[in-house]
Amino acid sequence: MDMIDNDERLLQQFFSEAANQKIEDNGFTDRVMQQLASSNVQRSTFNVQRVSRLWTWFCISVFVVLFVVFRGWELLAVQFEVMLRTMATQSFSINLMMLFSVIFGLLLVGTGEVISSELVRK
Amino acid sequence: MQTDISLVAQVAVFGNKRAFDELVRRYQSPVRRFFLSQTLGDSQLSDDLAQDTFIKAYTSIRSFKGLASFQTWLMRIAYNVFYDYTRSNHPTEDVDVVPQREGKSDNSSLKMDLYAALALLKPDERTCITLQLIDGYDIAGIAKITGLKDGTVKSHLSRGKEKLATYLRQNGYDR
Repeated sequence: MDMIDNDERLLQQFFSEAANQKIEDNGFTDRVMQQLASSNVQRSTFNVQRVSRLWTWFCISVFVVLFVVFRGWELLAVQFEVMLRTMATQSFSINLMMLFSVIFGLLLVGTGEVISSELVRK
Repeated sequence: MQTDISLVAQVAVFGNKRAFDELVRRYQSPVRRFFLSQTLGDSQLSDDLAQDTFIKAYTSIRSFKGLASFQTWLMRIAYNVFYDYTRSNHPTEDVDVVPQREGKSDNSSLKMDLYAALALLKPDERTCITLQLIDGYDIAGIAKITGLKDGTVKSHLSRGKEKLATYLRQNGYDR
């Protein structure tokens, strides 16, 4: 046990100067920022942002089209009415079309997130 | 002074380069020091790898969820950059000839002794040892950065410390 403590003390002492060493910047940050300004990095970041934005607009468009095609406002009104009427009796009903729309919407958003994070990782 | 999270948010949402500039200034020292230890003092290579680390951090800053500190997240990127570098360059893992010194070293040659001592270790041992003894991470922090299990980190630390202590005793550091 003493031997281990001695070793630990010896190592702490040996590494103490390195642990306290602060490396001066000496233009390092400027070089990184210059590199960032280069076309490659900017282009890849721009591509990621563009794909992400396009996907968002695609999702919104699909939602609007589906909302109009299936007369979403009517579905919402019916759902709202059913909810109000059934509140008193504590019963519960699900409109399959509504459920499908929600799941579809979540899938679109989820896929977008996956695509976006994969692009960022690259 | 703005917090790391605030600066990260500015970079992620608005692409604010000045905020990222501040983050680089804040963390260039630990990142470059980490690479200096891994490359056994090759400052040119260390700076190149550190630069890659910050560029990767910039391009993937949206994946920072704030579960760990920004520095830990950055060190994980640095570790991956170094891992990719060693995998693509196939360096020799063991250094056969390590300079032996007599007596306790003075400050000017301490760095040389440090790198000579680190050269005795295998890459994973070196990473765990430097993260603990130089950067001050605990076992959980090292595991988070390297992706190794706690038990594996512990055994790397134990083996590495044994090798280093023997080396230091042989070179008169215990006197």
